[in-house]
Amino acid sequence: MSSLTVTFVEDNGTVRTITGVAPNQSLMEVGRANGVEGILADCGGACACATCHVYVDPQWEDRVGPPDDIEAAMLDMVSEVQLSNSRLACQIKLSDALDGLKVTVAPIY
Amino acid sequence: MASAGLETEQAAICPMGGGDASLLARVSLTDPEISARPKPYYDAMRAEDPIHYDEKLGMYLVSRFADIQTVQRDPITFSVEHGYSEQYAKGFAAEFKEILIRDGGGFFPDAIMTDPPYHTRIRKLMDHAFSAHRVKLLEPDIEAIVADVIESFADKGQADAVKDFSVPVTIRVICQQLGLDATYADKIQRWSLAVTAQIGRMQNREQMIANAEEICELQNYLIERIKLREAEPGEDMISDLVHATTEDPENPKLTFAEVVSLVRALLIAGNETTATAMTNLMFILATQPDVAKLLQDSVDDERLLSRFVEELLRIEPPVRGLSRMTTREVEVGGKLLPKGAHMLLMYASGNDDENEFTCPRNFDLNRSNLGRHLAFGGGPHRCIGLSLARMEIRVAAREVVKRLDDIKLAIPIDQITYLPTVATHSIERLPITFKRR
Repeated sequence: MSSLTVTFVEDNGTVRTITGVAPNQSLMEVGRANGVEGILADCGGACACATCHVYVDPQWEDRVGPPDDIEAAMLDMVSEVQLSNSRLACQIKLSDALDGLKVTVAPIY
Repeated sequence: MASAGLETEQAAICPMGGGDASLLARVSLTDPEISARPKPYYDAMRAEDPIHYDEKLGMYLVSRFADIQTVQRDPITFSVEHGYSEQYAKGFAAEFKEILIRDGGGFFPDAIMTDPPYHTRIRKLMDHAFSAHRVKLLEPDIEAIVADVIESFADKGQADAVKDFSVPVTIRVICQQLGLDATYADKIQRWSLAVTAQIGRMQNREQMIANAEEICELQNYLIERIKLREAEPGEDMISDLVHATTEDPENPKLTFAEVVSLVRALLIAGNETTATAMTNLMFILATQPDVAKLLQDSVDDERLLSRFVEELLRIEPPVRGLSRMTTREVEVGGKLLPKGAHMLLMYASGNDDENEFTCPRNFDLNRSNLGRHLAFGGGPHRCIGLSLARMEIRVAAREVVKRLDDIKLAIPIDQITYLPTVATHSIERLPITFKRR
């Protein structure tokens, strides 16, 4: 099984690079397990609360892809902090293709 | 976050509650007239005493948005388990428990109203069932139920929005999900009220005994259904819970007592609160013609409908207050609370906080922070059924404006009565008139 590296930039600027990440879990689960500031994930990964909101680094946007309709509707509820590269980390499934992924955590909501 | 400037600006353009400080010394949330129309009390608290001790209730009322957020994001300092069990059947807890053990198959504490790490285990087992994507698959079924219920009264020109619309819709939906018999609707409605009364703080002993008997009947019914699903799984949530496995190899399954408590919680939580939201939907359509018109004109605009649902929940959250208890001495909102302080989070007050929501009494679909409302609580105890609730309300809104027109209240606003409870703010009956569209 391959292991991946992902980087979160917390809202206060702290860079958290996490290595040895197993694929087939969501980016939210990695953030929460490692205590990344701002990944609260109140709803437990159900795409229902927008407390794991991240901005995908421009270099990674194509590979991560856009949100689906259900996720987009949830992001619309936090439109004051929504950007064109907004995603909910619970909906980003990690795989080899996302090894090295970098995101910035949105302000705590 | 608002500055003083914003507050001044708001005062100029929208009516502000302000605070009648004398109210705080005089009244309690358990006073029937305050319980029914609590906004002046909330406004006074937020303005004068944001963590107000309600003496009659014996609880600290947390009234400001930011303080509610602080409390719900720290489930260790502010314990749901202690807060909830203190609230449950308060004043009669021992006798209540005895009745349930004697006649109701046992006393099953709510497994979901607990603290981490136990709560985390229970919650993980249930999150999947309620994901937004899974709930989306239920939309056609929910739409069929809503349409059928509306058609049952659409030609009559008048109805009670509670009895004829909200209650039958929500009971049929949750029965379908749990695999229960919807012909039990009347009983389920009574059972629901009996359970929620246990955290309502406004029942006397006689009512407690009557409610306990209802809950016994409910539990005996659920126990029978659960045993059936243990032997013969079906495509329903009871089967999912009975056969769910956790990641914990030591403790891989839910216990029977946990399953009973969770099924009971799902039946009740998915019923009374969502029904209240649907009644509030009718109330808003009947009293805010501009909003009704906008919905009629944009009935296929999913984004607008979703925004409508969130704003409806913000402006009239069905759950009024849930409890917490401090596990240590702690300062909240400038007040030092001792260990063991019993608190009630006043969601409707938080949703009316001018520092968070500009002109909070305006029904405004264009808010850029709609998702910040507290109707579903927040933190690790955030409502687990929120996607299902949103879906039910959204479908209800769409089908109502498609099928009914010119909805009006059939009684004056000040004659609307509310259930006597501190836990929810639920309209008891809402007579309306309408035309078929």
